[in-house]
Amino acid sequence: MADINLHPDSEERRRIMDFIMAAGQTLLENGAEVFRAEQTMQIMARSLHLREFHVYVLTNGIFASAGTAEISEVRNVPSRTVHLGRVAAVNELSRELAEGRLTLPAAERRLAAARRIPFPKGRVRVLSGTVGSAVFALMFGGGAPEALAAAAAGCACSLYLWRCAALPALLQKLSGAALITVVCILACGVLSASVNHAVIGALMILTPGVAFTMSIRDFVKGDYLSGTIRLIDAVLVAACLACGTGLVLRGYTLLTGVTVA
Amino acid sequence: MTAAQIIELARQLLLGGVGTLCFGILFAIPRKCYLACAATGAVGWLAYQLAVMLGVGAVTANLLAAIPLTLLARVFAIGLKAPVTVFLLSGIFPLVPGAGIYYTAYYFIQNDNAQMAASAADTVKIAAALAIGISLVLGLPMPKPKRPPKQN
Repeated sequence: MADINLHPDSEERRRIMDFIMAAGQTLLENGAEVFRAEQTMQIMARSLHLREFHVYVLTNGIFASAGTAEISEVRNVPSRTVHLGRVAAVNELSRELAEGRLTLPAAERRLAAARRIPFPKGRVRVLSGTVGSAVFALMFGGGAPEALAAAAAGCACSLYLWRCAALPALLQKLSGAALITVVCILACGVLSASVNHAVIGALMILTPGVAFTMSIRDFVKGDYLSGTIRLIDAVLVAACLACGTGLVLRGYTLLTGVTVA
Repeated sequence: MTAAQIIELARQLLLGGVGTLCFGILFAIPRKCYLACAATGAVGWLAYQLAVMLGVGAVTANLLAAIPLTLLARVFAIGLKAPVTVFLLSGIFPLVPGAGIYYTAYYFIQNDNAQMAASAADTVKIAAALAIGISLVLGLPMPKPKRPPKQN
């Protein structure tokens, strides 16, 4: 058993609180569900003997207080990516804390390390985007030509997302969708494939399907506010994708007089 | 069931696994979870295809597919000591109505209201079916592992 102070003094309580908030923020930023962030923070507070710990987590913020509101902290978590490796690392950390195998300084170091787990390399992301697009074009009923076109579009879109990661998220989705459509139209012209199947396969990289389903899950669990935030986010992203694709298709029809099916 | 159907199911199983793995990598899952994630997604997609092949509607098929998928995700979560989210989020990827939500928005900006309403209704139904399927299985009590109670 690592020695964890049963009665942390006020200085230490503040440090524990900071640690728990940082852990919750890491979970939330990297795609963990709201209730999981809440649950993990409560388990950490119990393991570190932080008493009277109360927490309220939203999709984009954390509110918590401890020790009859002696300490209270708010974190704004505006940016969300999905990095499940970091979620798993924080989960492992909380498990070890609960088993009493970690001290607070060690846990702080582990958390800092977990927050720095890198994303997969750009090359790997482009490769999986390419293969994933082709596979989804096949799964949605396309044939080999559609899969090839989707692979080309998925490759272009992944490269674009990698190179232009600094753009605002919605603009990125809009231009990414437009890029996918352009590449698909060109590739399908060469391969004489159906544009629809190819586009939807490659668009799976950008679609907010998981966010949408998780928002309904939040509703089912009773987190109505978090579910609403996620739902609006998903709808906005879908609208951006539709605008990107729609603009290109309309432009193509205007230029060539041919409606793409 | 004919041989052609079995071959088709095997093809879909493979595709589901590869597709899930690709998106799992984009979601940066830990390396030790790669195979388990692919298996979760493949089983979910296979269950969906099987249900559709047996003549079940798309919404019910999604509900039916979410059940084995989530069960498997829980089993892997306990076995590999990783949060269930890792397997669930990537495993559910082939089933989520990403295409549906996109088509809804697409028909919306094309001003095709009838098509929009149809795909919006389908999308919401599918997402609700998945969410209910997941919540059902996650709510089931599972034999606790030996370590102290902890989310799995």
